[in-house]
Amino acid sequence: MPEKPAGQDLAHGVPPIAVSSTSTLANRTGSWKYIQPIYQDRVAPCNAACPVGVDIEGCMDLLRRGKLDEARDLMLRENPLPAVTGRVCEHPCHTACSRGAFDEPVNIRAVERMLGERDLGARTNAARPKGDAATPVPAAASRPRRKEKVAVVGSGPAGLACAYHLARLGYAVNVFESDPEPGGRLRYGIPDHKLPRAVLAREIDRIRAAGVTFRCDARLGKNLAWETIERHDAIFIATGAREHEPRDWERHDLPAVRSGLDFLREVRAGEPKAVGQRVVVIGGTDEAVDCARTALRLGSEVVLLFHGAREEMEADAEAVAAACREGLRLECLARPVGLQLAGHASDEQPLEAIESMFEAGEGGLPSTRLVGVACVRVRPPAAGEGGAPGRLTVPGSAFVISADTVLTAAGAEPGCDFLPPDLHRRGFTIRCDEWGRTSKAGLFAGGDVAGEPRTVAHALGAGKRVAIGIDHWLRQRAGESLPEPDPKSLRYGANGNVSITRWRGDDPVPRVNELNEVVPREMLNFAYFTHEPSRHDRWSAPGFGTSALAEVNLGLPPADALAEAKRCLNCGVCNDCDVCMIVCPDVAIHRHAEHGFSLSYKYCKGCGLCVTECPRGAMTMTREGL
Amino acid sequence: MKKVIIGNHAVSWGVQLARAEVIAAYPITPQTQIVEALSEMCASGDLKARFIKVESEHSAMAACIGASATGARAFTATSSQGLALMHELLHWAGGGRLPIVMADVNRAMAPGWTVWTDQNDSLSQRDTGWIQLYCETNQEVLDTTIQAFKLAEAVDLPVMLVLDAFYLSHTSEPVDIPTAAEVDAFLPPRTARYKLDTADPHAYGALTTPAVYMEMRLRQQEAMERARVVLEEIDAEWGRRFGRRYGAIESYRMEGAQLALVTSGTITSTSRQVVNDLRDRGEKVGLVKVRMFRPFPGEALRAALGGVPQVAVLDRNISPGHSGIFAEELRAALYDLPPGRRPAIHGYIVGLGGRDVTPATILDCIARARAAASPSTAPEPEDIWVGVTP
Repeated sequence: MPEKPAGQDLAHGVPPIAVSSTSTLANRTGSWKYIQPIYQDRVAPCNAACPVGVDIEGCMDLLRRGKLDEARDLMLRENPLPAVTGRVCEHPCHTACSRGAFDEPVNIRAVERMLGERDLGARTNAARPKGDAATPVPAAASRPRRKEKVAVVGSGPAGLACAYHLARLGYAVNVFESDPEPGGRLRYGIPDHKLPRAVLAREIDRIRAAGVTFRCDARLGKNLAWETIERHDAIFIATGAREHEPRDWERHDLPAVRSGLDFLREVRAGEPKAVGQRVVVIGGTDEAVDCARTALRLGSEVVLLFHGAREEMEADAEAVAAACREGLRLECLARPVGLQLAGHASDEQPLEAIESMFEAGEGGLPSTRLVGVACVRVRPPAAGEGGAPGRLTVPGSAFVISADTVLTAAGAEPGCDFLPPDLHRRGFTIRCDEWGRTSKAGLFAGGDVAGEPRTVAHALGAGKRVAIGIDHWLRQRAGESLPEPDPKSLRYGANGNVSITRWRGDDPVPRVNELNEVVPREMLNFAYFTHEPSRHDRWSAPGFGTSALAEVNLGLPPADALAEAKRCLNCGVCNDCDVCMIVCPDVAIHRHAEHGFSLSYKYCKGCGLCVTECPRGAMTMTREGL
Repeated sequence: MKKVIIGNHAVSWGVQLARAEVIAAYPITPQTQIVEALSEMCASGDLKARFIKVESEHSAMAACIGASATGARAFTATSSQGLALMHELLHWAGGGRLPIVMADVNRAMAPGWTVWTDQNDSLSQRDTGWIQLYCETNQEVLDTTIQAFKLAEAVDLPVMLVLDAFYLSHTSEPVDIPTAAEVDAFLPPRTARYKLDTADPHAYGALTTPAVYMEMRLRQQEAMERARVVLEEIDAEWGRRFGRRYGAIESYRMEGAQLALVTSGTITSTSRQVVNDLRDRGEKVGLVKVRMFRPFPGEALRAALGGVPQVAVLDRNISPGHSGIFAEELRAALYDLPPGRRPAIHGYIVGLGGRDVTPATILDCIARARAAASPSTAPEPEDIWVGVTP
C-alpha cells in the first residue's frame, strides 16, 4: 500500500486515527510551565580536591573526544609538572572521584602522568638524547612580554610553579637555586625509584622553554647577595623546609646517625656515602619509607621503627606495602630509647649524652661504633586514658635492633636566617596571605616556607597562587585598575585551589553558565553508567638490589590511560551525552553542531525530566524568568 | 518441510517467517514457549528482530504500540491474566489502528488459580477493537499467524490469534512449514500509512473532540467490516499458494443437517469425530466451526445455519449472569432470519477451566438439544451446563 501523508486519507471528514493535521509545533506546550530547566555546568569534585588546581574533568573530556594535545595543553595551563605529580602526588582526586561510590575511582594520576609524558617523548629513566630540542610550551598560554622582572628564590615545586606561570604571563623570571641543579626537594629529596631524575629534568626543560632562567649554586647569604635579589620588581621566597631539628635521643655527632633527608640527597646527587649493612629508619612519613626503600636498593637490611600503629603512618600505604614486599621489616608501636655502641673507650663521646637504658658496650665505656638501637614497645592509650601517642611504654618490653646506621626522618623546618629581619614571621615560617603577600610590599612567600601543607601538589598550587598575587601586584603598580583577586571565584568550587586560567580569563573549554559549586553526588544519575573496573598502575617486580634505583611504578600504557579517561563521569559538566534531548517529551531540546544544546522555551513545559535524568548534574531547574 | 511441533512453536515459526521486526514480551508465567523460541531465534540471528524484554504485559503491549507506530512489524504473546493486564492498551492498539499481531494462548481466568484452557480471557477483550481468530490445529496456528500480519496490515487493525492451552499449545502435531521465500512472496514488508517521523512530526492519539470522535469510531467499524472481506481474499490466496483454506467459518457435513453443532477451537476436532460417527449411523448432523469471532461473521453464519431446525452451540466460556458468548452472539445474528428459517438455538456450557470435552460430552449436548426440541420446538430458556456435578 503506498504511503500517504497524514491528513490525506480522509473519510467521513476524518483520518482513520487521531492524528494532528499540522505538526506538533502548533502546540506551544511552553505556555504551561512555571518552572524551567537551564543548562548549568558545575565543578567536578576532582577539580575541587586537586591541590594544584587542575581542570581534571576538562582534561578527561578532551581525552574522551580524542583531543590528546588539547588535553595536555589544558593540563599544562595549570600544572607545569604533570609527569612529576603523575608519579608522586597523593591523588586526593581519587578519593573525591564520584566513581568511587559507584565502582572504583578513575585512575586520574596515571592519566596525568600520560599527559605529562606526551611531549617528553620517553617514559623511561633514559636520559634525553643529545640534540633533542627543548620541549614545547603551549603557545596559546603565552601573553605579550612585560618589562618587569621577578626573582624566585628556591626551585622546589612552589618556586618552579610560580616561575612558570609568571613567565607565561609575560614576565622575565630569574630562579635562584642554592643546589647545583634545580628542583629542590623534587631533585634531592625524592628517590629515583619514585621519580627518575631524567623525567624531572625534562619537565624543568619545559619550564626553561617557557622563558625562565635558572641560576644554580647560588645561596642567599653566601654567594648570592640580597641586593641582587632586590633589583627585581618582585621577589618570591620559596626556599622550602630543609633544616633538621634533632631529637633529644639522637647522638648526631656519630656519623652512623644521619638525617634521612641528607641520605636521600646524597643518593640523588649520585654520591652516596657507604650506607651500613643494617639500617634502622625512624619515622612513619613518606620520607622515612623513601629512605627505607632506597637503603634496601643499596643492599642493606632495613628496619623501620614507628611509634604508632601501621595504619597511623602518614606514608602512602601502597608504598609501605611495596616496601614490605621488598624486604622491609616494619616495627610499629615501638620507639627508640637509645643507641648501643661497641665497647671501645673514647673520651670524646660522653655517655651522658645518650639517654640509654642499656649499658653501652663491654666494660661500660662508650665507643663511636653503633651496634644497635635500644627500643621499647609502646601501646595506644586505652579509652579514657591520657598520655601522648607513642609514650605509653609496655613494661619489660625492652629490645635491641642490631644496626650500624640510623636514618632519622622526623621532618624538617624552614630556615629564614637570610631574610630581612623585619619580615613578619610565624614560628619558623614567613607570615603571608593566600596570594603570598608578606609584610613587605613586593616580597612574596609560599610553599613550605610559608607553612603550607608539605606535598608536591600543595607546593605547586601555592606557587600558582603567588604568581597570581605577583601579577596582580605588578599590574596594579603599573597603573592598571584591578580589583582584589577573588578567591571564591578563582578557586575550584570556592574551596579548591585556584585556576590560573580563570585568572587569565582565557578558558579554552566552553562553559555553560558555570556555577562555581561542586556538583553534589545526589545530582548524578548513576543509572546511566555501567560498571567498569579501574585500570590500576603497573608495578615492576620487586627487584631491589639488582635493578638498583629503577622506577617501580610504571603507570599505565597510553591506551589504558586513555581508557581510564573515558571512565570519567564528567561530573557536573555537559559532555553532549544526549540524554536530555532523548528524554524531552516535547522535542524542545536541540543539539548544537559543536557542543551543547539549546532549549526551546516555547515548547519546554517545565516537566523537569531532563534535569532529573541528566547523568551528571549539568542542568538546573529555575523559576521562569529568573 | 514437515515438522512435529507444539502449538506454541507453530506460532514462533509463523512469526519468524512473517519477519516480525519487534517482539516485546514479559517472560514470566503466564508466558509460554512462544517467546522463548522467538528469543532464541533473535539471539541466533535466524530472526532479525529487536527482542524487548519488559516488566509486564502492559509494558509489552506498550512497546508493541510504540514499535508499530514507527512502522515496524510488531508481535507479542500472552495468556489469561497477562492479557487482562493489557486491557487498557488493547484499546490504544485498536483505536490507534496499529496492525500488531498477538498470540493468546486461551487460558481460564483466575481465581481459582488455573493454567488450563477456556476462552474467557480472549472473549473478555471482545470490544477492544481487535480482530480475533480461533484456531483448531497446530497447522492452522502457523498458517493463521502469517495470515494475521497480512490481514492486520491490510485493514490497519490489530489481530489476536487464539489457541487452546495444552490441547494446542503443548501438544505436538505434524505441521507443514512453508519456506521463507514462499512466505515472503505472500507477505511483503510492512508499508505503514501513518508512522512516527521526526522529519514530519504529528501528534498521535491526542485529544479528540465530540465533533470528530464518532466518525473515527465509524471508520474503525468500517475497517472491521472490510476485514471480513479481506480475510476471505487472503485465505483464498493462501489456499492457492499452500493448498489449505480456513475461512471465517467452516461448514462441515452440513448437507441436509437437522442439527448443527457450532464450535470453536479444539472442541471442533472432537465434534468432527462425533459428526462422522452420527453420519455413519444415518443421522443428519453437521458442524459449523467459527474461526473468526471479531469481526463477527453474521452473514456467513446466517447462510450456513438458516433453515437448520436445531443448532447446539458448545461454549467453552461463560458471560456470568447471561450465557455462553458464542451462543449469545449467534442468537443475535440469526434473530433477523425469517421465522421459518430461524433455528432453535441451544446453548451448552462445556469444558470450563480445561475440563475435557469428550465425544460423550458432545453426544450429551446433542441428546439434550433433541429432547428439548421435541415435541415442542422451544429451546431451553437458559444455557445448560453439561458435565457438572449436580
